[in-house]
Amino acid sequence: MAKKVRDIKKASIHIDMTPLVDVIMLLLTFFMLTATFKAAESEAVMVSLPQSIYSDPDNKMRETDVLTLTLTSKGDVFVDVDNYKVRQRVFGEEFAIGVYHPDSTSKSEIETKGTVGDKEVKRKVVTLNKAQFEKVLVDLKTALRSATGNPKAEFQVVVKGDKDTDYGIVEDLMDSLHETQNKIFSLVTIIKADTKKE
Amino acid sequence: MAGGNFDAPDSGGKGKSKNKVKGRGVTIDMTPMVDVIMLLLTFFMLTTTLAAPQLMKISLPKGDVKDKVKVDMGNVLFVRVSEKGNVFFAMGKSDGSETPLEKIEIKNVATKLEALFAQNNNLLLLLKFDRKMKYHTMADIFDEISRAKIEKRYAFLKMEPADLDKINAAGG
Repeated sequence: MAKKVRDIKKASIHIDMTPLVDVIMLLLTFFMLTATFKAAESEAVMVSLPQSIYSDPDNKMRETDVLTLTLTSKGDVFVDVDNYKVRQRVFGEEFAIGVYHPDSTSKSEIETKGTVGDKEVKRKVVTLNKAQFEKVLVDLKTALRSATGNPKAEFQVVVKGDKDTDYGIVEDLMDSLHETQNKIFSLVTIIKADTKKE
Repeated sequence: MAGGNFDAPDSGGKGKSKNKVKGRGVTIDMTPMVDVIMLLLTFFMLTTTLAAPQLMKISLPKGDVKDKVKVDMGNVLFVRVSEKGNVFFAMGKSDGSETPLEKIEIKNVATKLEALFAQNNNLLLLLKFDRKMKYHTMADIFDEISRAKIEKRYAFLKMEPADLDKINAAGG
């Protein structure tokens, strides 16, 4: 009689989930620790970056005080910083982004169509000419210094270029950077595996 | 009722003594926890960007744009890149002229640079890129320059019509 009762109980199979939970917990911790969230506003303009093999372990993207110059494939240069107080001072609005079109022979895509590729830019766009663009580069640094209270604060200048941007745009941009005493900058790329490592 | 019962409730009364013996190892039902953790895990897996962007540092020369720097033309290597992304090397000569353009496969640039620097360690790279060249070619070239185990000294020069003629003569 007693045996029969036990048989009925065993019919509901009990799976031990402890190892599963262990593994999932490990994965969860890993992803939680490595996650870097992209704020929607920092990715105002999406470009497809070029790939590169070389990596410089001493040169990493900073968390703050980064001046991002995004070059679209149609030749628009978007200038943005991560500090909203600095943006407020320079552009007059916390979520504004500057755009400069160096090539006078073509029309700015954002001005004519209001989009980048087929994506809308969800922030207020401030159009700049060459002189204004260079003034903005200088003003941003001044604004950063007064906003942080550090008279020696410098931006890390990063160039996020679309892989199909014409080099002429980069050349014009380098001229402007040189003109405004931004002598060191970095090109942002996506790492790719080295297929011919000796 | 048995105290601290996390499992599905057993029927009390009958066979109570037997249950007590079995119930020594308390089993916790982990299903809700696993559900929540799975949700969190999926969320983090989908929102994470693992491929951290890579930075290539570029330094522009100190001083003003108009500043002129005198270099010995014998220590100069012209690196011209055409609109199509073809790379041409030409060594400068002390009298101001240069050797004929040599077309280099982009993947051989690093090896070629190392070979040239083995002969002359004071070479300065003068980079002349076509304005219509695509930006990813620039990243590739810098990739190669960075890969070469050489002292990196380079300058950007504007592509002049004369350079374009030379490139066209050498095969674009």
